[in-house]
Order: sequence, then structure tokens, then C-alpha cells
Amino acid sequence: MPLETELALFEKLKPELLKNHEGKFALIHGSDFIGAFDTAENAYADGVKRWGRDSFLVKKIAAKEEVYRNQALSLGLIHARI
Amino acid sequence: MPVFNFFHWSKDHGHTLTETGPLVAVEIGVPAALKQHLAEKGLAIPAAISGFALVDTGAFATAVDESIFASLGVQPIDEIPTGTPHGPGKSNVYPASVTFPGMKVNEMSMERVVGCTLKWKTRQNQEVIMLMGRDLLQWFVMIYNGPGSDVTLCF
Repeated sequence: MPLETELALFEKLKPELLKNHEGKFALIHGSDFIGAFDTAENAYADGVKRWGRDSFLVKKIAAKEEVYRNQALSLGLIHARI
Repeated sequence: MPVFNFFHWSKDHGHTLTETGPLVAVEIGVPAALKQHLAEKGLAIPAAISGFALVDTGAFATAVDESIFASLGVQPIDEIPTGTPHGPGKSNVYPASVTFPGMKVNEMSMERVVGCTLKWKTRQNQEVIMLMGRDLLQWFVMIYNGPGSDVTLCF
């Protein structure tokens, strides 16, 4: 699964990130937390400068994660990974 | 605010808006930051991929067929929980550059596009590659003219 290591680190760091950076975007590569950015665009630009086309995580630091719902998904017309 | 009309009609099928829903031509390209990186490294920049976006007022986020990102060499930057008919799922999230050539909207930066398997073709052979969610629609005014088979978008 892509970003497995990064997502696991984000979950581990989440309580601390929420205290200090809620609403910002975390940039994580492998097992390294690089920093929190004001916008996802800035975090992504920084990630591309460092690692080019490699995988890295840009995730909003929020207590509750949004859930993607739409009619097409609900009706099974399009698919997500289960 | 420029106004653009999209008349949904074909010679073979007449008015098509009811059948297809509101469709707008779209191009998905590599995000600006990646484009700049590739240019600086002297690497080829993949050409944007063209298709149609279906306006989906029922979705809060815009979704794009995931194969597009594989073709462009764009990696996912996150994942998002999804509600599916089989229970909770996960979808990848990608950054993208979105152009609507018919509305002169060029290389709009989107940092969170949901990757899904959604590519299909209408009877008029229009390949739908994007569901245009409310995160994009918040910037538009739309008039759905059912009797006239016409959609008006202002940006």
C-alpha cells in the first residue's frame, strides 16, 4: 500500500501535531516528519523540491478526517479500494 | 464574470443533457510544482490528458480516474476514507493541474483530488474522466436548463 509508513507515522505523531499545528498540513517522507505547512500547495512544492517524483505524504492535521461520499460511489458506479 | 454555454446535443441522439448529465471538456495535467521540477531537471513533462468532467453536485470533492495519474507519473500524497456500497473504503488523494479549455480556465491548481475508477464513455463517445465536486463548483455559477438541454457555467 502506498504511503503506509508515512500514514503510520502521522497517526503516531497526531496528538502532538494537533496540539501545535492543527489546521496545517504535515509533510512526511518515509519515517521523517519534515514540518507543518500553512497550505497543502506549499507542503507539496517542498516535497517535490526534496524528492521529485518519489512518494511522500501531505496530510491535513485535523481531529476528524473527512469521508468522501458521492452518489456514484454509493450506487457502485465508481469504485474505491476496500 | 465570463459566461459559457454548453449545449448538449448530437446529430444522432438529439438533446443529451438528461442522458449524460452536465459535461464539460477538461484536461488533467501534472501539478505546477512537479512541472517546474521536471523542467529544471530537463525531464519530459507529460502532456495533459483530455476528457470530460461530469458536474456532480452530490460530491463534496472532485474525483479523477486514477489511471490518469499513473499515466502522468503523479504519486498519491494522501488517502481518504470513502463510503461505498460494501462499507468503508479508502481512496488515494492526488494533486493535479486542471484546465477547462471551453471556459478559458487554465492550469487551476488542485491539491486534493480523489482517485477513483470511473472512466466511462457516453453514447456520443465522450470519455468521462472527472467528477466535478463542490470543492470546484464553489467557484462557479451554474444554470441547468433541462428543456433546452443546455448548461451555463460562469467562472
